[in-house]
Amino acid sequence: MANVRFEDITFRYGTNTVLEHFSLDVESGKIVCLVGPSGCGKTTLVRALLGLIKPETGSITVGDRCLFDAKKRINVAAEKRNIGIVFQDYAVWPHMTVLENVCYPLKKQRVPKDEIQKRAMRALEQVHMTEYARHLPNQLSGGQQQRVAIARAIVVDSDVLVMDEPITNLDAKLREEMLLEIRMIQKRLGATILYITHDQQSALQLCDKMAIMQQDGTLCQYGSDEEIILRPANRFTFEFIGVSNFIPVLNSAAGPALDCGEQIPYSGDVPAEALAGGWEIGVRPNDIVFDAGSPMRARVDSRVFLGSEYNYFLSLGKKQIRMQQSMLDARTQGIADEGSEVGIRFLNVRFYPAKKGGSAA
Amino acid sequence: MKRMDGVSPDLAAVDGRRRFNMDKMMTAVCFILLLIIVVIPIVMIVYNAFFYEGKFEISLFVEQLTEPNNLGAMWNTLKIAVFTTILGTVMGVFYAWLLGRSDIPAKGLMRALFNIPYMFPPFLGAMAWDMMFNGRSGYINKWLRDLLGLSVMPININSVWGIVFVEVSYYFPFVFMQVVSALERMDPTLEESARIAGAKQRQVIWKITLPLVKPAISAGALLILTTSLAHFGVPAILGYAKRIYTLPTRIYEVIYNSGGSFDGIRQGAAISVMLVVVVAAALILQNRILSAGSYDIIKGKSMRPTLIKLRGAKIPLFILAIFTLIMIVIVPLVMIVLISFLKAYGLPLEFKNFTFAQYEKVFSANGTIASIRNSLFVSITAGIICMFLGTLVAYVVQKIRPKGKGALEVISMLPYAIPGTVLSIGVILAWSGRILGINLYNTIWIILVAYLARYLSFSMKTSSAALLQVHSSLEEAARVCGASHTESLADVTLPLIRPAMVSGFFLIFLPAMREVTTSILLYGPYTRTLGVQIYSLRDAGMIPQAAALATVAIGIIIILNTIVTKLTKDRKGV
Repeated sequence: MANVRFEDITFRYGTNTVLEHFSLDVESGKIVCLVGPSGCGKTTLVRALLGLIKPETGSITVGDRCLFDAKKRINVAAEKRNIGIVFQDYAVWPHMTVLENVCYPLKKQRVPKDEIQKRAMRALEQVHMTEYARHLPNQLSGGQQQRVAIARAIVVDSDVLVMDEPITNLDAKLREEMLLEIRMIQKRLGATILYITHDQQSALQLCDKMAIMQQDGTLCQYGSDEEIILRPANRFTFEFIGVSNFIPVLNSAAGPALDCGEQIPYSGDVPAEALAGGWEIGVRPNDIVFDAGSPMRARVDSRVFLGSEYNYFLSLGKKQIRMQQSMLDARTQGIADEGSEVGIRFLNVRFYPAKKGGSAA
Repeated sequence: MKRMDGVSPDLAAVDGRRRFNMDKMMTAVCFILLLIIVVIPIVMIVYNAFFYEGKFEISLFVEQLTEPNNLGAMWNTLKIAVFTTILGTVMGVFYAWLLGRSDIPAKGLMRALFNIPYMFPPFLGAMAWDMMFNGRSGYINKWLRDLLGLSVMPININSVWGIVFVEVSYYFPFVFMQVVSALERMDPTLEESARIAGAKQRQVIWKITLPLVKPAISAGALLILTTSLAHFGVPAILGYAKRIYTLPTRIYEVIYNSGGSFDGIRQGAAISVMLVVVVAAALILQNRILSAGSYDIIKGKSMRPTLIKLRGAKIPLFILAIFTLIMIVIVPLVMIVLISFLKAYGLPLEFKNFTFAQYEKVFSANGTIASIRNSLFVSITAGIICMFLGTLVAYVVQKIRPKGKGALEVISMLPYAIPGTVLSIGVILAWSGRILGINLYNTIWIILVAYLARYLSFSMKTSSAALLQVHSSLEEAARVCGASHTESLADVTLPLIRPAMVSGFFLIFLPAMREVTTSILLYGPYTRTLGVQIYSLRDAGMIPQAAALATVAIGIIIILNTIVTKLTKDRKGV
């Protein structure tokens, strides 16, 4: 169990800067999800931690052990870093049996033979793969290979376990199961897990803490999942985690209004700088409610039942927005029919400068 | 998300802090070995063609370039190569289509038979055809002349057209094999949609099928072209009698006539430059045509194509295919075996003239036994060394990707485009005492060095393809699990590419066993190879004995091929 500290990491592929002065402190004994869109530098960060690439600047420490420091010219070799990794493509060695795969890290650590066997079987037990110990990887399904990779990562007592999109290739049900499994494993081992994903849904399910990375490789927020959903630090976090509607705001003669092709008066509070032009109001679909008395009128374009909620597409002026109605609200307020006119109210709104080139709902 | 395939050099960068590291060492070893094996011989050719005693000297080259014999040889080389390529391609595509796409009977057997000419040494085929249709003494020629009551021989194989005919019959499998496999891997819905869209069968073949397999056709045709341009055996056996020369035989002639003197070798080097220019021009031309199309439509997995019904043409086409097979596979083979039993060449092929004496001579003569031993030794040694060296180069190019990896790749592939005869001259110039006093001339080692240069690209290609399949994360996972760089190579990468390395070995060993083009210029009194020994026996007029040794050689090749097929089949199962 140890914390992981990235400090001032800069990495370039040729002239292409992937990470610039990136810092992140991953707390000990927690599952931390590193979330960001494809190509934002998540994998690069992981490879730097593993010692597979060498950053230009900065330092990486695990617990009180310095793995890399550009200034002090410290660069611990990949094989001596003691970090468990589950690669995105499993990287299970196809010429070794499941058991041989799991034994390999122990062999390299010169663990006594009889102990190797015991520990490997225990690791396989934890991922429910004992009966496949003698199988070759090509006889296993993707999910099973994934578990072998996890067993191989947890078989040595690593300070840190890194999982790089470990479940993206699994089907929905297995994905759910594996997330629970990872949770259980973490409880048992008490290890620090750095979990990399571009899928916010699994991140929300799994993590204790979330780190949101932006396209340009900078960290835009680090906090608990609640904090990130309820108090997004900027427009990117707001937009990236969850679904969102954006509508341009303008200052009309009659006060604040929403620009939906036609001007729709907005009665809520609008900060002064948002009225200067070029700002948008952001609202999540589940923060929109029906309110028969509201002056804001919209028409229902379509309604889809999603099992635990209703999903509506509404026309507000000429702009289409998305709204979600929980089952509780549907019970108490009733559902709106397609084509009908409804009054709506925004519960929780945020204001952000508009993106260049405009934004859709 | 992408797993950053292009970034494995980082591993090297990470280790870069240490003064000594394996990646750098492997890269250096690659460059040094390729320098010795490939670059020095090639540089020596160019140097000796244009420089004399350290001074630039163009007169030798000009003299050779304007020599009528050489110009004639050049013209013949081009004529033979072009016609062989055209006819071989047409024949290859036609039979590929017939066996791949029509409902002709006995396909499996015929496919196996159509591959035979590929492993049959062409110069042995030329020997057989010469026995049958030699313009003065061919057996079938004599028989036909008597039968038809002619005063001259009806067919003369000792002509440019005879050479073209024999080369076509042994080189068309290059195109045949490429196109058959492309046809089999082609998505049949592509043709079916054309039919549904209203195209007639004939239109589908011309407008859909053939354009889609065009890359395969071009690749095969290129192979025919370069092989024919560089080929020594067939024109040597069929052309010498009538003084028909090609550039490779002309090089041999010049050196042979000079008794292996330095002047002769220098002249050979100058002619070599001409040959290299011709080959290079052919490659560039082909590259232009080839780059016009690369399609992803041909899938890796096998699909069942729709077969076209031949209806009335079925039986005649079947007979044609069988006839072709008999003509190019069975007749020459039977001829060689028959002649090998003759007491003396020229005697009628009657039972009373048959004897085992030739085989007794073959197996009792020290020279022939030694030649088999020599061939086995150089082929196996070259196969093993190339297997490791080719894998090393492939690893450096694919995984380490140092600066100058492009150069490394080009250098290792260069001998592929350089005719064997030319390579031999380079090797003679380099390793007969002129550099560091190393003199390998007249020893078996000079043949080995030449084979290394000639066949390195074979094993490099197969290892390269295998390494591409080994994702870098497999090696990285081993590193993270606590394996050093060396250990990750030994535990993960090498075991994964071992099957490819083994097949790379056989890809070198088999052609090296029957090779004559390279070793004909390099052999010494005690270092004849199997091919050279057959060639010299025949040259000395001991044709039945040459035929007997040829029969033995063919036997060895067939046995080895069977073993290889068995071995490689087992490997696929694992």
